[in-house]
Amino acid sequence: MTVQVFLLTLVFALPLGLPVALGSNSRLLPIRLFCRAFVWVFRGTPLLLQLFFFFYMLPIWFGFAMDPLPTAVITFVLNYSAYLAEIYRGGINSIDRGQYEAASCLGLSRWQTMFGIILPQTVSRILPAVANEMITLVKDTSLVYVIGVAELMKASRGAVNRDTDPTAYLVAALIYLLFTFILTKVADRVEKRFSRHEARRQ
Amino acid sequence: MAAILEMQNIVKEFGRLRALDKVSLHVEQGETVAIIGPSGSGKSTLLRSVNRLEKITSGEIRINGELMVSSPSGKAEYVSERQVRRLCSSTGMIFQHFHLFPHMTCLGNITYAPMKVKKQSQAQAEETAHRLLELVGLADKADNWPSQLSGGQQQRVAIARGLAMEPELMLFDEPTSALDPEITGEVLAVMKTLAARRMTMLVVTHEMGFAREVADRVIFMADGRIIEQGTPEQIFENPQTERLQNFLRSTLSAQKNQ
Ligand SMILES: Nc1ncnc2c1ncn2[C@@H]1O[C@H](COP(=O)(O)OP(=O)(O)OP(=O)(O)O)[C@@H](O)[C@H]1O
Ligand SMILES: [Mg+2]
Repeated sequence: MTVQVFLLTLVFALPLGLPVALGSNSRLLPIRLFCRAFVWVFRGTPLLLQLFFFFYMLPIWFGFAMDPLPTAVITFVLNYSAYLAEIYRGGINSIDRGQYEAASCLGLSRWQTMFGIILPQTVSRILPAVANEMITLVKDTSLVYVIGVAELMKASRGAVNRDTDPTAYLVAALIYLLFTFILTKVADRVEKRFSRHEARRQ
Repeated sequence: MAAILEMQNIVKEFGRLRALDKVSLHVEQGETVAIIGPSGSGKSTLLRSVNRLEKITSGEIRINGELMVSSPSGKAEYVSERQVRRLCSSTGMIFQHFHLFPHMTCLGNITYAPMKVKKQSQAQAEETAHRLLELVGLADKADNWPSQLSGGQQQRVAIARGLAMEPELMLFDEPTSALDPEITGEVLAVMKTLAARRMTMLVVTHEMGFAREVADRVIFMADGRIIEQGTPEQIFENPQTERLQNFLRSTLSAQKNQ
């Protein structure tokens, strides 16, 4: 179940961060305010609190309950979109003004400039930060335990109770570590792939 | 001869600072105009007003006879965004720091805008790009990344990129200032070729040799105003104002000391 939460968060939050990032830079005040408020709320409060909120408070206040899995996924997606949006925005803002000016002088539209010139350069700059976020996500998925949907932790606790053998916790930790290790490797590869153009002069 | 660029009473204010103070400038088809002047005199601001990298505070600009901005009520009013983009697309700009797109090869840098903006086919755009790379003497660098080129080579690719959009007016903002003295020559040579082909050019430069040799007209700016203009002979051999005399004396002696 934690793997499901991880994968679904990845699939939805990675793309969702982009409109939030672009919105935070928008020239239209309502859009900008909305996106910045969204980031502020979801980045400014603990994920655990957000999970409690969506899982326990929403049903009490609004009288409907969702299954644990979708609840966890929605919370994670919103939370991680906010974090990723800030990483994206930082990356976009780190691109030299001259790139925008050169694009504008060539007659490229805002859209063409953003998607053809700015974002491709942003990717290689933000990859380390995004990879970091993914590793945090792997660890954060253990939080879903508190709303009773974790399998990994629950399974290991069950094992501990049964055998009173603390190595089960160790196994859980190792699985997390293995997971983050693989992620780091993948991120390295992708990063290399996207920084080809920064090859030093021969 | 037809005026490609007509600027009338251009004022540009940055807060309380007046960077351009009622500057008027006409550039005719095929002319090479050099702009010289001390740092902070408004040379870049003037150039950047032509393609709306800077929005002017008041004044009037026509490109190819078509109105881009006017000030009927004393404040600058631009025509529609579409129109402005269309007018600006008949100008190309070369920057001091090149601003090549680092994630694209030289070929990609040159073909991107023609394909996206002019909807050229890839084959068509690449054919033009190869021809332009040949023109700037970099036929063998088509598949290199900008980071693999020297500054002079990057600037020549930037010129090819600008030319690929077939501009009628090329704006150069100190194209050789970021380069080592030994390699300014290769960029200036390309610009000379363009001048010889009657490309219309407006060139902000500290290269007095280039201004003297290549320009049809030289403009001297100081404090956001055009102080003096004329043929290279008039400006360099027979400067009228004390400002220009002082400026020439200090820059020429500085360049000799290099
Ligand atoms: N974006 C800006 N914001 C505020 N002031 C500006 C801005 N751009 C230029 N200025 C000011 O306007 C004046 C003219 O600047 P400009 O860059 O046009 O000078 P320049 O003649 O190109 O100088 P240089 O030879 O150093 O490039 C300067 O006083 C400069 O500080
Ligand atoms: Mg300047």
